[in-house]
Amino acid sequence: MRRSRRRGDDAQAVLETALVIPILLFLICNFIAVMVQVTVQQQLNSATALAAQSRFQAPESAVDPAGTRCCGAHGVTLVTAGLPTGCRYAAETFYGTMITYTGLLRWQAATLCTSGGDSGNETNPRLDPVAYPGSPAHAEVSCDIGSVKAGGAVVPGYVDRTLDPPSGLDVVTCSAAASLDFANTPLAWGVFWTPTLHAQAEALPPPFRQ
Amino acid sequence: MGGDDEGVVRLRRARRQRRGQAMVEFAVVLPLFLFCLIGALDAGLWAVQSSAEVSAVEQAAMIASSAGSSPLSETAPDARAVTAAISGRLRSAMFGTSIETWCATDASGDCAPDSTQHCPTTPAEVQAADGPRVVVVCVSESDPPACTTPPPGQAAPYPPGCDDSPMITVRVIGFVASLVPPGFGPGASGFELPTDISATTHTLRFAP
Repeated sequence: MRRSRRRGDDAQAVLETALVIPILLFLICNFIAVMVQVTVQQQLNSATALAAQSRFQAPESAVDPAGTRCCGAHGVTLVTAGLPTGCRYAAETFYGTMITYTGLLRWQAATLCTSGGDSGNETNPRLDPVAYPGSPAHAEVSCDIGSVKAGGAVVPGYVDRTLDPPSGLDVVTCSAAASLDFANTPLAWGVFWTPTLHAQAEALPPPFRQ
Repeated sequence: MGGDDEGVVRLRRARRQRRGQAMVEFAVVLPLFLFCLIGALDAGLWAVQSSAEVSAVEQAAMIASSAGSSPLSETAPDARAVTAAISGRLRSAMFGTSIETWCATDASGDCAPDSTQHCPTTPAEVQAADGPRVVVVCVSESDPPACTTPPPGQAAPYPPGCDDSPMITVRVIGFVASLVPPGFGPGASGFELPTDISATTHTLRFAP
């Protein structure tokens, strides 16, 4: 009688442990995953913001000559010949900044360089930007920029009508998106979700730009 | 009477066994509980520190890329000035971690980033040079290749990218302090957390 009660107590303890330990590990894995997600999101925000600023580090009308390539990071090579130099600067900045956690990220391919686009408002329809001719379509960052054509015609950047209504301001916008995949990490044991991270940044042209 | 004594002894033995069992359970659960508690606190601390580092390197990259000594300058400021500009932000988040400048001073004693400045590539390199619980701020500059006369059939500027503005990289790298005191972690100097955050951008050229 006493032995069977003791056996019952032992079995209960083993059962409790068997229930509690997986739950505890599950919570720890997800806690760490959330921390990693927050950090990666911040890095993505930072890389995108610097990329948008970088567009203005190049002379406004400069165009990449034949044979120009960038970026090298993550094994990505982008041919930027014929595109505004600021577009390559933006890409180099993005790839140079986003160097950690890249093994966890599954990038969503984007067109490196686009132009035009309008945020829209009550009186103006929203317009999607269009890809620059010859712009690589497999980039990890996409920047909507303004430029000057060979004939001198100004190609506007993205018009954000929330900045200066109702006419809006021409700004550079850069965006990037990736999903965070824990499948190849020990966290995969308890993390069953794959969050998608988005980052978008706008930059205004500085007044004393070359 | 003898039966009552035997019963009392059995009761006492059972109580002692229960106490012993509770002690064993406590001894097993306590380290696990402390591990989880300190781990969770450390993970939170790490997230706060990483967040501060990301925003600090972004700020540093902008300072370094746009704050040349003159409007025509293409050179980034002294690495120590960049470190001083962001160390306040880093210190408020990185308890128990020293923030230092990584620089090789030139002949004039300046710490200007140039092509000879090589940042450490791993946190271990920082630990070997500066000791444990040290994070360094490294500012390096990468200049484009010199322009040359283009070969027949090639357009100037040649080689492509030779007239680019230099690229500035700011890197915050090292080991940050954790809540586990020195001597209790797996490493020789405690359970420190490696960190390596960087930001790269082109320098700004002002219109002459």
